[in-house]
Amino acid sequence: MLLSVDRINVFYGSARVLSEVSLHAKHGEVVSIVGRNGAGKSTMLKTIAGFLRPLTGAVKFDGEEISGRPPDQVARLGVRYVFQDKRVFTKLTVRENIELAAHAAKVRLIDAIDRVAQVYPKISMFLASKAGGLSGGQRQLLLIGRAIVGSPRLLLVDEPTEGLAAGAIEEVLRALELLRAEVSMVIVEQNLSVVSRFADRIYCMKEGHIATELSDLADVRNQAYLETYL
Amino acid sequence: MISTLAYGLTVGGILYIISIGLSLTFGTMRIVNFAHALVYTLAAYILVTSMHVLGVGFFLSAIIAVAAVIPLSYVIERFVIRRLYGQSIDYAIIATFAVLLIGVDAIKWIWGAVPIPLSDPVGASFSLLGVELPVYRFIIILISLLIFAGLELFFGRTVVGKIIVAGLEDKEALASLGINVDKYFAVAFTLGSCLAALGGVLYAPITAINPYMGFQVLLICFAVVVVGGMGSIRGTFVAAFALGMVMSITGRFWGPAADTMVFVVLGLVLIVKPIEA
Amino acid sequence: MLNATLKILQKFDLLVIAVLFLLLAPIISMDRSIDFMIFCIFVLAYDLLYGYMGRLSFGHMLYLGVGAYAFALSGEYLAANVFLALLIAVGSGAATGLIVGPIVVRTTGACFALINLALNQLGYFLVLVAFSRWTGGEDGMSASFKRVGIFNFSNHTIVFCFTFACMLLVVFLVRRLTNSLLGILLRGIKENETRVKFLGYDTFVIKMAAFILSTTLSAFAGALFIINYSYVTTSFIDPLRSVEVIFACLIGGAGSVYGALAGGVGYKLISNYLPNYIQRWEMFLGVVLLLLVFKFRSGVWGYVAAFVKRCDRPAEETKSHPEVSR
Repeated sequence: MLLSVDRINVFYGSARVLSEVSLHAKHGEVVSIVGRNGAGKSTMLKTIAGFLRPLTGAVKFDGEEISGRPPDQVARLGVRYVFQDKRVFTKLTVRENIELAAHAAKVRLIDAIDRVAQVYPKISMFLASKAGGLSGGQRQLLLIGRAIVGSPRLLLVDEPTEGLAAGAIEEVLRALELLRAEVSMVIVEQNLSVVSRFADRIYCMKEGHIATELSDLADVRNQAYLETYL
Repeated sequence: MISTLAYGLTVGGILYIISIGLSLTFGTMRIVNFAHALVYTLAAYILVTSMHVLGVGFFLSAIIAVAAVIPLSYVIERFVIRRLYGQSIDYAIIATFAVLLIGVDAIKWIWGAVPIPLSDPVGASFSLLGVELPVYRFIIILISLLIFAGLELFFGRTVVGKIIVAGLEDKEALASLGINVDKYFAVAFTLGSCLAALGGVLYAPITAINPYMGFQVLLICFAVVVVGGMGSIRGTFVAAFALGMVMSITGRFWGPAADTMVFVVLGLVLIVKPIEA
Repeated sequence: MLNATLKILQKFDLLVIAVLFLLLAPIISMDRSIDFMIFCIFVLAYDLLYGYMGRLSFGHMLYLGVGAYAFALSGEYLAANVFLALLIAVGSGAATGLIVGPIVVRTTGACFALINLALNQLGYFLVLVAFSRWTGGEDGMSASFKRVGIFNFSNHTIVFCFTFACMLLVVFLVRRLTNSLLGILLRGIKENETRVKFLGYDTFVIKMAAFILSTTLSAFAGALFIINYSYVTTSFIDPLRSVEVIFACLIGGAGSVYGALAGGVGYKLISNYLPNYIQRWEMFLGVVLLLLVFKFRSGVWGYVAAFVKRCDRPAEETKSHPEVSR
């Protein structure tokens, strides 16, 4: 079991946002979390990544307990969180964005750029541009590329296709598909067509808890069926 | 008029050097650091002690003073600033102000409250367009330009600098890459403190050294940082020189109003561009 | 049992406060207690902004000073009538609030603190230099008044009674205000201004109201100080002294009337008696301030209140939720 989340409860102040949530992801799996806005999906990822600490419950990564550890430590253990909103370092160039990831992962910049180019070949065209000037799709791909520098074992991706046009969505999915072999993923998504194409298993979240888990591939691939769960 | 302009540039240069630290600390940690003034004041006192008591020359004393504040700045960062991360900004203001109070009182205790004058370390002056200008002032301007260039290089070319620039924008993303942001912010803080110390050392011969000199300059530096944009290094540069000019020109026509005019400008800027802090 | 006693005390709190202060007076001397009470009024005025609205002003001495100088100037240049001077002082405080309010009130956090400080510096400069011909600059000016009926303010007992009554009045006023809709809205703004706006309230007007109230009461306190001292100097508008009222709020506990009073008395006791025992008492103050910020956020009153709550309801869960957001 690569990732195991065991009955965590997370609070914002005195409001409970996650209650008794358990989920897991095996090596090589792509697990998706779906649900309405406010269901707690992003909170889930943030807790796994270490940005939030659960009051009770445990998060284990590859057998090691990581709940409560600071996010940079969790990242160094091999878990990378790809933020929502396509947040890149706008004032730095694309190359410099990757450079920071390379520095953190103690990897050579050349190798890091190659790694990013594996999933997003066009990156070499933008290396010198300021990241702030990229389009949404390009940013998302830069973020994913940045996150895989240093070969993490688990990727937590928060709404990668949000706000993107169909062409950009295809590019993002292609990149994720290429990564599938080497990195396990937990993807939060609202776009059910993406989810049903891509995920191995789906968790449906509702108001801070897991309402359903769909592990039958036939169910997962059936988008119409998924929609009944939202 | 020339000497007024030259003085404006001198003051601007010093304001720039001191304000960098404030801008960095606010930009990275969202903390208004009143204790910055303490580093500035203490450096001046260490400089004077080194020169008058130990008999060391100005240049070497300056280096000693700047180096000496590094441990103090580490202590402040580690035990006060770091605890204030993410907290309400009010507590940061109060806590750092408390540190300043403690420090100023300690200075009064050790050195006494009587102002200590320090003579111009260069002593020479040169002629520009028929006006006699002290060389020392020119050196200050030069140093501030060098520092600007140095910081541009640091933030633009080195990895540490780029991490700080990235951190000014989005520190969570840095953490998600596996970077221990606190460590780098501590670097930024120490850098800022050293610059404040340098500012104190450079300004010491121009003003009488007294325990409250930090207070006097702190407010103006806040004005510089707010006008220039919190966390913007280049903005601080422009604002520092602009406000330095304001002070110098105002001072020429109505001496005591120099400081006050800066606040008028600050007020105007805040009316036009209120900043969420 | 404890809870019931406290409820009764709370109902008659004005009486309790009055009694406590009357007991305090002979212990610390009547003159000192006048000073204490006026300071408490200032702390209450400050707490309106800091404790209830959540805005830290670092230059509130400005408003105190405006009141003090307006009072003295009125007596010197208009008429030696105390009540006219008081009226003018209070009016000046309100006017200042009205004029600077629109700029100041729109800011929050660091900007709010700093712009108040900057304005305070400006005021200090005006009093010290620009208008020194009238204000006496560094030397200050004296303020003496003719008696009006029984109000002969050269008699300290009269000053005491007058100040005493004023303080109780201000306590009553602030308490009524903070328990009213305005108080609730202020606290709402402190927590989340956007939400209050969404409820349909014009937060600017509310903030202005609280701000002007605070400046007016501060000016009132300023004038009272001058009634007591008969002399005004620049120390009444000195920005550095703003830390006193902040300290008092923190010590007592921001956001409660009792806290403000406790803090005001507490700070004054410290500043009056501590220098006799500890020479470097300002350093000590700084250390205590740090302790307050890091360990005792809610001040003395906050601790007492929490303690009382725990005593009365031992079964209730007081576990705090350690959500750590980095």
